[in-house]
Amino acid sequence: MNFTTYYSLDSLIAAGKKEARDKEAISVDLFDTLLVRRIHDPDLVKLPVARYIAGLAAARGLKWSWRKVQSTRDTIEQGNRAATGQKFTDHEACYPLFMRELLEVIFQGGYDESLLERVTEYELTMENSMLVPRRKLVDWLKELAAEGKRIFVISDMYLPASHLEKLVAHAGVLDLIEAVVSSADTFLAKASGLAYPMIAEKYSVRPEAWLHIGDNPFSDGLRAFDAGLTAMIIHDPGEDQRKSITKRYYNYSDGRPFWRGRVLQQLMAPLEDENQPGTPLYTEGYNFIGPLIGIFIQRIAELCRKQNITKVFFLSREGWTFKKYWEKATPWLFPGDDLPETEYLYVSRMALAGASCAYQGLTQTNADIAFLPAGNRDFRDVCRIFSLKPERFAGHLADHGLAVDTCLSHVHDGYDPENRKKFELLLEDESFQAEVKRQTMDANRAMERYFDEAGLFSHKNVAIVDIGWLGTIQRFLFEAIAHRPDCPYCHGFLFGATRGIPYPESERNMIAGVMYDRNRFDLAASTLFYAQDIFEEACRAPHPTLNGYRLTEEGYELEFRKTDDAIGQAELHQDEYFAPLQQGIIDSAARFGAAAALLGYSFDDWKPWINYLLVSKLAFPRAAEVANIKNRHHLDDFHGSKKPKADFGRGLKPLWGQSQLQLKFNPLLRIRYFFRHLRGRINE
Amino acid sequence: MSTVHNNRYDLAGIELSRLIKTAIVGKIIPMGNFRGGPGGRCLVVLALLHYLGYPVYRILAQYGHRLQILRRIAVKLRR
Repeated sequence: MNFTTYYSLDSLIAAGKKEARDKEAISVDLFDTLLVRRIHDPDLVKLPVARYIAGLAAARGLKWSWRKVQSTRDTIEQGNRAATGQKFTDHEACYPLFMRELLEVIFQGGYDESLLERVTEYELTMENSMLVPRRKLVDWLKELAAEGKRIFVISDMYLPASHLEKLVAHAGVLDLIEAVVSSADTFLAKASGLAYPMIAEKYSVRPEAWLHIGDNPFSDGLRAFDAGLTAMIIHDPGEDQRKSITKRYYNYSDGRPFWRGRVLQQLMAPLEDENQPGTPLYTEGYNFIGPLIGIFIQRIAELCRKQNITKVFFLSREGWTFKKYWEKATPWLFPGDDLPETEYLYVSRMALAGASCAYQGLTQTNADIAFLPAGNRDFRDVCRIFSLKPERFAGHLADHGLAVDTCLSHVHDGYDPENRKKFELLLEDESFQAEVKRQTMDANRAMERYFDEAGLFSHKNVAIVDIGWLGTIQRFLFEAIAHRPDCPYCHGFLFGATRGIPYPESERNMIAGVMYDRNRFDLAASTLFYAQDIFEEACRAPHPTLNGYRLTEEGYELEFRKTDDAIGQAELHQDEYFAPLQQGIIDSAARFGAAAALLGYSFDDWKPWINYLLVSKLAFPRAAEVANIKNRHHLDDFHGSKKPKADFGRGLKPLWGQSQLQLKFNPLLRIRYFFRHLRGRINE
Repeated sequence: MSTVHNNRYDLAGIELSRLIKTAIVGKIIPMGNFRGGPGGRCLVVLALLHYLGYPVYRILAQYGHRLQILRRIAVKLRR
């Protein structure tokens, strides 16, 4: 052998430092040397580009499937290579030439240069998303540049140097490089060895003072040596292993849908410098909750396009994370498509409950919802939830034989079913309802002014996105605006719809659970019941909950909960604790978008993997995971502070509430809980 | 402190070993719809690659060209 092969980057750099001492110039191969690919096969990047071109064609009424686009591209590229081969030794192709030809074939007379620019931009963005600079090599190049060495990047590639410079810039070394040289510009490649004398002559580099580093023993090793250069080859078994693993996941996903989600996560995984040590919570955010949110967001975007939804409202406070994820992931998933506008809408059950009574009064169902949490006991709790003043109802209550403190919930001591019947009669009392409407009208007007400003009434079809679970927020929201002639069609999308109280669905007011919906049997996804609160806390915005809407002379004011009391402080503590988890979620967003765009799968393809993730992490968690992910505090203003009967809730301790001792040493604990869960779902 | 992507190129918190355990339990009790599941052969190949991949590729990188005879035998055996 006339060159040396190194089996780790460390040994190559150590030897390279010695070799480089008496060299003037150092050149580095770009792909699989300076930059490594997340994918095993570089041609896979061409597939999302084909889908992008097919999308552009469809927008102009041209019927081109992405497969046809891809095969036409391959044919044209091969033709270009054959033509080059007649004049040059190397059979090289040049991207702008064959891509222009392809676009001209597809768009015919509709072709213009801006099309080529858009496609090129997208291809380079996709390439960049799949490339990661090798940190140790970059650091060494910086050292070499500081020593005054001339540095070149050389590649046998169909992208010309002007395009490759963008990829080198992504590696953060463009300012260190004297020139990027691509075979696409001259059709003189490393493979034939003709690139080396051409570069030596053009940049006045003496071959004996030139060190070349690459990964191909033939074109980077033998050919470089033949040209008089000193050559060093990197053959990293770790890279072979990584690519082999990725290749298996990718190939298996073709025949077995289960692996589609797994290959997505393999492509999303951080490499090299991106893969920094972090807390277990960061890892859970990146590997568990992040992909779930990504798939949820992708599904919403798909449904919005299908149902002609023109604006998406992400409801506070979980919508804050959803919206951030949307902004980072959807440009990858739907490039060039007109996605709906987005808005973060400040709402809460407490703020909307009162406003929902302004036109319809306090309905029987809404009153029942108020008594769902065990902490709510009497009419005072109803007033707290619906922003009513209890003292103004003293007369109405007395007329029906009730008082503000009469127990109306069956889970509290002193409950008499007769009182609940009296309460139901009270709800039918017109003067009572008139007082309810009078007290809640201002909140409704303020809310309408805010919603108007947010653009809720300017669209025919809107999406209302929330974490879950009963759909109470959307129920109150729709009831508060249903009287308006410009009330939009509200398409509600919940992360999980556990339901419980029948939702009043209509043509204008629809709701569906995306990851889980109790209306369809889905055993694996129903494991969301195990630990709903962690999803709420993981996605929650770092601002206090909204207490209500206040009408002012200028318009409206949003009233937020104060954070100086014990509950407010607990929530701040929870935010601080979950900050790494949220960071992990957000960091996963762009990589999710790029990986999902490359694979081209949709929600149904990911579903088996989602099911596995939910079962594995929620129904069969490790003790350490429960200790880490379980939220420290959870604020629920809807829940009152009254204590239910002593025997209420006994024997219902959830798995995620079990002690570490039980979780670590009770071998059948999870199985026992899972069977109980299974029985519960079957009996539903 | 740990990394999202560990040195076996597996994902922290959802490692292959965990998936194998779940797949085994899933053979005994219903766990939900995994649309055919991971498949035993796929799990074996991936387990070999994740857990023994590095030493194998290290040997192949350095001595692969000398192991051609073994490859030829393997091809014959497959036939």
